[in-house]
Amino acid sequence: MKSSSSLTRGLAPLFGLVIFIALWQVASGFYNHVILPSPSEVARSVASLTIDGRLWEHARQSIIRGLTGFGLAVAAGVPLGLLIGVSPLLSNIFRPLVVTLQVVPLISWLLLAMIWLGFSQVPAFVVFVTTLPLITINTVQGVKNIDLQLMQMSVVFRISRPRVFREIYLPQVLPYLLAGVSTALGTTWKAVAMAEFLSVSQGIGARMALARINLETADLFAWTFILIGLGLITDRLLTYLVDKRLRHWM
Amino acid sequence: MIKLDRVGKTLGRTRVLSDFSLCVEKGKITCIIGPSGCGKTTLLQLMAGLEQPDTGRITGTEEARVSYVFQEPRLLLWKTVAQNIAFVLQDVVTPARRQELIKEYLSMVGLYEYRDSYPKALSGGMKQRLALCRAFAYPHDFLLMDEPFKSLDTPLRLGLVRQVARIWQANPQTVVLVTHDIMDALLLGHRVIVLSARPAAILDDIRIDVPLAQRNVVQEPLPGYHARMLAVLEAENKKSFPNL
Repeated sequence: MKSSSSLTRGLAPLFGLVIFIALWQVASGFYNHVILPSPSEVARSVASLTIDGRLWEHARQSIIRGLTGFGLAVAAGVPLGLLIGVSPLLSNIFRPLVVTLQVVPLISWLLLAMIWLGFSQVPAFVVFVTTLPLITINTVQGVKNIDLQLMQMSVVFRISRPRVFREIYLPQVLPYLLAGVSTALGTTWKAVAMAEFLSVSQGIGARMALARINLETADLFAWTFILIGLGLITDRLLTYLVDKRLRHWM
Repeated sequence: MIKLDRVGKTLGRTRVLSDFSLCVEKGKITCIIGPSGCGKTTLLQLMAGLEQPDTGRITGTEEARVSYVFQEPRLLLWKTVAQNIAFVLQDVVTPARRQELIKEYLSMVGLYEYRDSYPKALSGGMKQRLALCRAFAYPHDFLLMDEPFKSLDTPLRLGLVRQVARIWQANPQTVVLVTHDIMDALLLGHRVIVLSARPAAILDDIRIDVPLAQRNVVQEPLPGYHARMLAVLEAENKKSFPNL
């Protein structure tokens, strides 16, 4: 009983995928391959991109840009979030700023980055400004949820401030921060492709722009799947690392 | 010796203590019992320096190192059983002594084999035992306990009371234990202070000279003390709720 139910559970998503591909295959028969390429055409496109090295060449660029922007956002967002969370004064100063940052249209950032930084820096910058609020707001949330009873305990036992920060603050903020990091990583790949599409000639987004101009719809699909794969891999990697470190107490 | 001299304390709009005086003796367990909400926790927090008195003075606590057992275990869930004790010992004892203390106290309450487990894996009683361990292992001039057995059922509670008695006998120290349970006071108190409802005043001050190891709640003089405390608390209750 147990094995059959776990088998169905394991196969269920696969089953959905098979139905999706079958429907896609059928639908592609009714349309021109420029409108809707068939799954096999897309698979061939992914294969050729992989074999001739273009996949790695452009994906590498996107990954570097994405991780640069994301890394800077974490490096700036965590301290900022901690400060906002701890100090009501800083919260009053920075909170509206962070919220504003979050609602500024992406296209404004993009155009401003072109003017301020030059085209090659645009993708990393766009990733930075879109993920920074996510990291910051989640960190603030974590600080707000710190258990005051534990703080009181550490006052009684005269634990030094740096140790309270390291051993009481950070571990409690960590789950919230990781939730923010997970959302931010998902946003990273979307933002990087968007920015590349409009600003540069290398990278996944740029190749998508080229595929559109050349009406190579199969390539467009191929790059999209590559982006999806990138998102899934980083998400899984994060889940794995989090699970390994936090499983025993969360 | 901790001395509270005409201490007054208002929390929010509630007058919790007013002209309250008390001396806590060295090397003894002083139990404070009283109706819930009478300001017992505030009293401990004042002694621990977590709160400051509005009026009056508290002496004998200035340079003292205080250890504390809270109503809740207040453990660090991301640290193992042994690490939770090491957390409070780290800056006050050498690493070698730390290991000794951890082993000694964990063994005393039967948690040594769980030293590498995380609190998540412990039952409620075990968590509170660990909190007791942490408080006893931490080098202190006096130990404050705020209803440490509150959330436990009777068998667990009695077991833990016996354990506290044993730990104290192995290493007598100054303890203030706040409780609403007469049984805790009978089994652990060298001196029992019975408090009135807010603002707290001392209704009765009882000395129990029976050594902790020989205490038996059904053997005189304990039943006599039991009756005496009940009578005082009953009378106080009648005053607070005359219609009951």
